[in-house]
Amino acid sequence: MLGVVRALGIRALDWLSTLGRATILWFNAMAGLPRWKDISLVIKQIYNVGFLSLVIIVLSAFSIGAVLALQFHTQLARFGAQEAVGVGLALVLLRELGPVVTALLFAGRAGSALTAEIGLMKTTEQLSSMEMMGVDPLRRIVAPRIWAGLLSVPLLTAIFNMVAIYGGVVVAIDWLGADPGGFWSGMQDGVELWEDLGKGMVKSVVFAALVTWVAVFQGYDCPPTAEGMSMATTRTVVISSVLILATDFLLTLVMYGDF
Amino acid sequence: MTSDSDNLIEIENLTFLRGERKIFDDISLTIPRGKITAIMGPSGTGKTTLLRIIGGQIRPESGNVKVDGQDICSMNRQELFSFRRNLGMLFQSSALFTDLSVYENVAFPMRVHTNLSEELIRDLVMMKLNAVGLRGARDLMPSELSGGMARRVALARAIALDPDLLMYDEPFTGQDPIAMGVLVSLIRELNNALGTTSLLVSHDIHETVSIADRIYVIADGKVIGAGSPEALQAEPTAMVRQFMHGEPDGPVPFHYPADDIAYDVLGEPG
Amino acid sequence: MRMRTVEISVGAFVLAGIIALIFLAVQVSGINFDDTGKTYSVTARFDDIAGLRTRAKVSMAGVTIGRVSSIDVDMAWGEALVTLDILGEPGNLTTDTSAQILTEGILGARYVSLVPGGDEETLGDGDEITDTQGALVLENLIGEFVTNLGK
Repeated sequence: MLGVVRALGIRALDWLSTLGRATILWFNAMAGLPRWKDISLVIKQIYNVGFLSLVIIVLSAFSIGAVLALQFHTQLARFGAQEAVGVGLALVLLRELGPVVTALLFAGRAGSALTAEIGLMKTTEQLSSMEMMGVDPLRRIVAPRIWAGLLSVPLLTAIFNMVAIYGGVVVAIDWLGADPGGFWSGMQDGVELWEDLGKGMVKSVVFAALVTWVAVFQGYDCPPTAEGMSMATTRTVVISSVLILATDFLLTLVMYGDF
Repeated sequence: MTSDSDNLIEIENLTFLRGERKIFDDISLTIPRGKITAIMGPSGTGKTTLLRIIGGQIRPESGNVKVDGQDICSMNRQELFSFRRNLGMLFQSSALFTDLSVYENVAFPMRVHTNLSEELIRDLVMMKLNAVGLRGARDLMPSELSGGMARRVALARAIALDPDLLMYDEPFTGQDPIAMGVLVSLIRELNNALGTTSLLVSHDIHETVSIADRIYVIADGKVIGAGSPEALQAEPTAMVRQFMHGEPDGPVPFHYPADDIAYDVLGEPG
Repeated sequence: MRMRTVEISVGAFVLAGIIALIFLAVQVSGINFDDTGKTYSVTARFDDIAGLRTRAKVSMAGVTIGRVSSIDVDMAWGEALVTLDILGEPGNLTTDTSAQILTEGILGARYVSLVPGGDEETLGDGDEITDTQGALVLENLIGEFVTNLGK
């Protein structure tokens, strides 16, 4: 019995020290804005994590928008409320699905790649040799990746939302023949700039910080072995997905909860 | 470098633990300026750890490590990074940046630490690559290099900013005889030409003996022998003798500590 | 020259993101750059607001002219005290304007409908609309209907 308590205590301490190391990493990497000299590093990383994620984001967005429109349409048609498809689609996307699905896809596409890349750099002593050259790998390698993530995810979210709404338009208007006037005006009437679009974007920035943080930390902290790296990559996707979903609930509660 | 002491590095009463194991047990050593000093010892004695401590990457449990009069252990992050600009280190794995070409690898420290013009950087990179005989390989990627070439590129990168201290971590390990010969002569030449202090960690006896001015032998966390190569090879201490002559068994036992084999084989309780 | 392709791609990506944001702001949320201007507030007391929320629409003749900014309860009178933010300068509502809580469609959201009166004087900032009618609560209606039936 005492052994169990002891083991649990050790686990808790391990977990705490991991959290501590992750926090120290974040602060050392993000102390100060990136210098102008390093801007090309950030651009390179926006290409890697943002531009290269476009294909999967656009494809998923289109099909999710189309499916949502189909579901809304068939359900709402029973009450003769087809004009509400637009507003329903827009609200669900802007408030929840856009930020959440984009962040989940980003974790799978870019987060795992970040972990693997940094993990490999660590395993092959590239980070260590950089440190010995007097170059801080946290500023040179980690920080540009975090900045790129913070910038890319909200942009990807906006693109996701736009494409998904377009997918909804294709299904609801072009295919099922909903009235475009009612579709758009209902949407514009029910959607608020800050309340829906703005808060959704705030969510996506929070998710971006979470995913990139988990990804770079897992890469930076992984044991320098093949097994350690593969576990770190898996952990990036699992931990960031769970964090996204849990944080989304909290954020929704704080931002939209009516107390 | 300002201090006018004869020793660039002074290590006093250094103790370092890894878990329960004492890697260094209260050792003291000095590295003379402008010479090639070698740290030798069996594998697993923490020779690489010593280089990392000198570079400030890990902190010892106790003791002082002074490089040019500055205490490494009491430096903060910023101070450490600016201190390391005067440092060149050759890693065992070469540790080239795999996403940069040979040219860009050597140019990297210059680009980060200086504001030199592109033409000047080009000239300097060519000089450094020429010194290691790989000027022709400038456009190759690290994945296209052989192990020996990669190590020479890493050497060119380590000397990019003409450091005051060059550290070599097992430079001869895993090299074919020709590459080994090239590296031996390169290290000697670079030391003479640049006037840097070189610190070499190795367990390759012949190569090390042929270039080092001074050798420390470390085993079991202690310095067990120190002096010039000639003096050490004539050294009577049994442990140093065993190491310098490569004898399989002796004071450094062939067996990892274990119970009598009879217990393990016959299954009798000990 | 690979860096150049990277730069162009990133430029295109950022541009696409910004276009998407503008599209979402204009076409989806339908911001109107005119109505970001001034509002003034008037209050109204209702006996029952039945599910009216803050930020609900305030409309006149079906046109949105403001929002519900806060809802409080006056314990002493047992009434709901609703504050309405009306677009524009004070002077566009008469003092005998009446307010009514209605429902959009059969299951839709509650909103406040204003009907202008014929008075010459107008409501100023912070004034109260006295002529109000609370929401029709379905349960009350059914209750009344049942009692009437029993007579």
